Amino acid sequence: MLEQAVIYLFAALVLSGGLMAAWTRHILYAIIGLGISLFGVAGLFLYLGSPFLAAMQLLIYIGGITVAIVFAMMLSIAMTVTPPERNRAKTVFAAVCTAAFGLGVFQLVRAARFPAVSPAPEEAWSVGAIGHALLTHYNLVFETLSVVLLLAIMGAILIARPQRKAAS
Amino acid sequence: MTLEGYLTLSLMLFCIGVFAVLSQRNLIAVLIGVELMMNAASLNVMAFNRFSVTDPTTGQIFVLIIIGLAAAEVAIFLSIIVNLYRTRRTIDAEQLTELQG
Repeated sequence: MLEQAVIYLFAALVLSGGLMAAWTRHILYAIIGLGISLFGVAGLFLYLGSPFLAAMQLLIYIGGITVAIVFAMMLSIAMTVTPPERNRAKTVFAAVCTAAFGLGVFQLVRAARFPAVSPAPEEAWSVGAIGHALLTHYNLVFETLSVVLLLAIMGAILIARPQRKAAS
Repeated sequence: MTLEGYLTLSLMLFCIGVFAVLSQRNLIAVLIGVELMMNAASLNVMAFNRFSVTDPTTGQIFVLIIIGLAAAEVAIFLSIIVNLYRTRRTIDAEQLTELQG
């Protein structure tokens, strides 16, 4: 009973944070809404049986990505800049498109039948199982991801660096 | 909460992200919308992983890779934003129209 209440609390955090991020025109409010939403998703991961991914969500998303976005905000726009007005026609169009998409996929979710299986045993959810799979069966994916991250860091430095004069 | 409940929740989060991408004018807010959509996807994968898969390792690794790729994507996106602001003095999506056909 209490567990259900906490799950619905996290779900409410996810939705309210997302709405805050999507609706506000102040960029700092949007970042804080993103943080709230990510925190709710981390809590839901906890109840979906994976404390490890909840911790990773907190560390990488809230601790890394959100902070990086704040950093970019401070480097690019001052917080005092008045945000531009929304274009009303475009907002309505965006809402209509989103609602149509959402209703379509919702019909799909309702029509689909998913097979229910008994939950896996406790030891299959452990961090050790994830680590073992990462270093054996998913080793190639793991290494590729590390190379992608390295290339992204190098590319980010290259793009953000001030342009120098072309060598004559 | 059942599997359908989680799927509906992640669908709503995805729609919020789509709305943010379509309606926001600030490029950083557009990036935040993309992040919301990615989180909806990983929530979806985790829900399937919990309720209708026998081996739960695969879904967790999938979500871990989504998180890693999101970090890489954010790094590139933010460096592009910083560079745009330096050269154009704006990150308003309505004013960056050089590539408009």
